[in-house]
Amino acid sequence: MNNIRMVTNISLIFLLLLVSGCAKFTTKGEEFPKMYNEHPRSLLVLPPMNESTDVEAKGYYMTTIEMPLALTGYYVFPVEMVSDIMKQEGVYDSEVLYNMPLDKFYEYFGADAVLYTRIKKWDVSYMVIAANLTVSIEAEILSTKTSEQLWKYTGTVVVDLSGGNSGGGLAGLVINAIVTAINTAAADYVTYAHRANGRFIQTLPFGPYHEMYLKDQQIKFVDQTPPSTK
Amino acid sequence: MLSSPRHIILLLIICAFSVTACQKRQPPLYYYNDYSVSYYAYKKDMSPESLLKLQQSMEKAIDDSGQSKSGRVPPGMYANVGYIYLKSGKPQEAVGAFTKEKNVYPESAHFMDRMIKKVELTEGVEDE
Repeated sequence: MNNIRMVTNISLIFLLLLVSGCAKFTTKGEEFPKMYNEHPRSLLVLPPMNESTDVEAKGYYMTTIEMPLALTGYYVFPVEMVSDIMKQEGVYDSEVLYNMPLDKFYEYFGADAVLYTRIKKWDVSYMVIAANLTVSIEAEILSTKTSEQLWKYTGTVVVDLSGGNSGGGLAGLVINAIVTAINTAAADYVTYAHRANGRFIQTLPFGPYHEMYLKDQQIKFVDQTPPSTK
Repeated sequence: MLSSPRHIILLLIICAFSVTACQKRQPPLYYYNDYSVSYYAYKKDMSPESLLKLQQSMEKAIDDSGQSKSGRVPPGMYANVGYIYLKSGKPQEAVGAFTKEKNVYPESAHFMDRMIKKVELTEGVEDE
């Protein structure tokens, strides 16, 4: 029952977004021309910058990003191995890592581009008898040759953790509160991180190991660029 | 009748399912076994047992890579498993896996050569 509720909630939100006038569409070719000019073959996933309140989000999030990027057609450097080496080299912490000159990553790993990720939200917000789980990831690809931004998108997933409507009255309220507590305890952020990744990865031009490589410029998606910068 | 919210929701679900069903008919570009699940399980407890499970899951993904559309081992899979071998005191196997990564994905050659050289220096492994 809960799953169905979740699916419908998510699809309804999506539908609303589609219908509402604020959702402007753009194409991959129009939005990310530099990806098609530079066509990087390999991506180095850097340990994420964790801006959420959950200290464990960083390590957990890293287990979700390697597969979808590879399936999009890029050579993705081995995430666990790379992050371990970065720890040994003393560059695992975001402050150091995100201030490094990008050509260092080309020099050491031979990577064409790096993927920066920022965990913006990874939490459950409580209301009186309900709770919302939010996972929000901002992702950005930068060239190691020109240091320019080639691609950027944000994936956000909000899930209503309160149980189904179990009738009115005070008893119903109590049951709802209990269900919410149980759901929150079992809330698996990683599942939703996978979904948030899916949101932004569908806007990423396909890589050289994919049959759609350099053939997907016309694919449409929701434009996230703030109007003022365009 | 048809305009009731129940019906619309049902329709949406059916749509979602039919779309995913179509996509699933083709084998994926790579076969990962349960890599993301066992990797996450390892990150949660960081125990030697879960590391071994992760290693075995990856070895199976490598063995079964023929099931995928590309027929190749996924990017980084040989390297990651090689790194586990290295940490478990099996430098020879590690160098073998790093070499395979490099052969399947030339994009990794620079990094793999660096690693192989490092292992040979610190562990005294001879390149075959």
